[in-house]
Amino acid sequence: MNNWGYVISAIAIMGLVTFGLRAAPFLAAKWLQQHTLVLRLGRFLPLAIMVLLTVHTLAGNAQSHANGPWPELAAGCTVVVAQLWRKHALLSIVLGVFVYVAFRNQWVPLA
Amino acid sequence: MTKPTLVGDDASLSRTPWLLSLPVAMGYIPLGMVFGFLFVQAGGPWWLAIASSVVVYAGAAQFMMVPMLAAGLPLATIALATAVINLRHVFYGLSLLDRLPKRWSAKAYVVFGLTDETYSVLTTLPAHTSTQHMLAITALNQAWWVAGSAVGALIGARAQVQLVGLDFALGALFAVLAVEQWRSSSNSHALWTALVSYALALWLVPHQALLVAIALSVAVGLWLQRVPKPSQTRAQPPTDKDIL
Repeated sequence: MNNWGYVISAIAIMGLVTFGLRAAPFLAAKWLQQHTLVLRLGRFLPLAIMVLLTVHTLAGNAQSHANGPWPELAAGCTVVVAQLWRKHALLSIVLGVFVYVAFRNQWVPLA
Repeated sequence: MTKPTLVGDDASLSRTPWLLSLPVAMGYIPLGMVFGFLFVQAGGPWWLAIASSVVVYAGAAQFMMVPMLAAGLPLATIALATAVINLRHVFYGLSLLDRLPKRWSAKAYVVFGLTDETYSVLTTLPAHTSTQHMLAITALNQAWWVAGSAVGALIGARAQVQLVGLDFALGALFAVLAVEQWRSSSNSHALWTALVSYALALWLVPHQALLVAIALSVAVGLWLQRVPKPSQTRAQPPTDKDIL
């Protein structure tokens, strides 16, 4: 993070990639609307990819310390249950982070 | 993530962009603060945390960039990870194709600012909403995010506390987005496809588990969707109902 040139390049590239993805359907509208398979895949893929990113991120967290995967499972379940119940994204995230931080900093002893 | 409880009713016609943007502020300011805090604690300068929120403006991707930049991963890897995380945005535009401002500069900015939350607000607006309104909502939403990042970065630059586990915010954000996608899906095929694909990928290629699992999921998705189901025979872009 001390190499500013590297960080600035990464920010620029991430900005371009993100804008490109957000703009893609407007540039390729006609093509996309003609290919119904693309549209149907558009209903299937977002859920699959969000589930994969969730599992992958939690698995990565679990491998970064000795007590995994229990804090990840507890905090992950907290987020999912809270979001299903209250539909309040910020509340779910804060609750999940709180549970996770509590376990990781041994405020709650594990076993 | 934040789902403003707005329906596309006549009441929203009279609402100002400020009111529409308020629920987003409740989510963006604190989350932006966590991003700014983590960025600075990882060793980045505060002004680059702010620059990220101005230039990239994508919550999940920005959370992901912190450990990747700290580890000095190659730019190509970071670009690929950004593409995977933000792939869902390709499908957001499909439901807004005919609704965005006509002026190209206004349209370009709204498209640039099409985050999960801005998308969910814009899709609840009546069809004939003015360009001014859409621009103002998009800009206000980004302003909350940038302001949160700035405050978080400035706190992070002074704080000496080391609190392990704040980075769970990224996993929690993904989980929230997954729950919302699941809520709007007609079935759980995609959920099970993803779980089984990940288990398989982790077993076969543990070091490239995510990429292989995504490839497997796309393959299964193409196979599952090859025949239109009776209820889906009309090819339409996803409507508001599909996502909200």
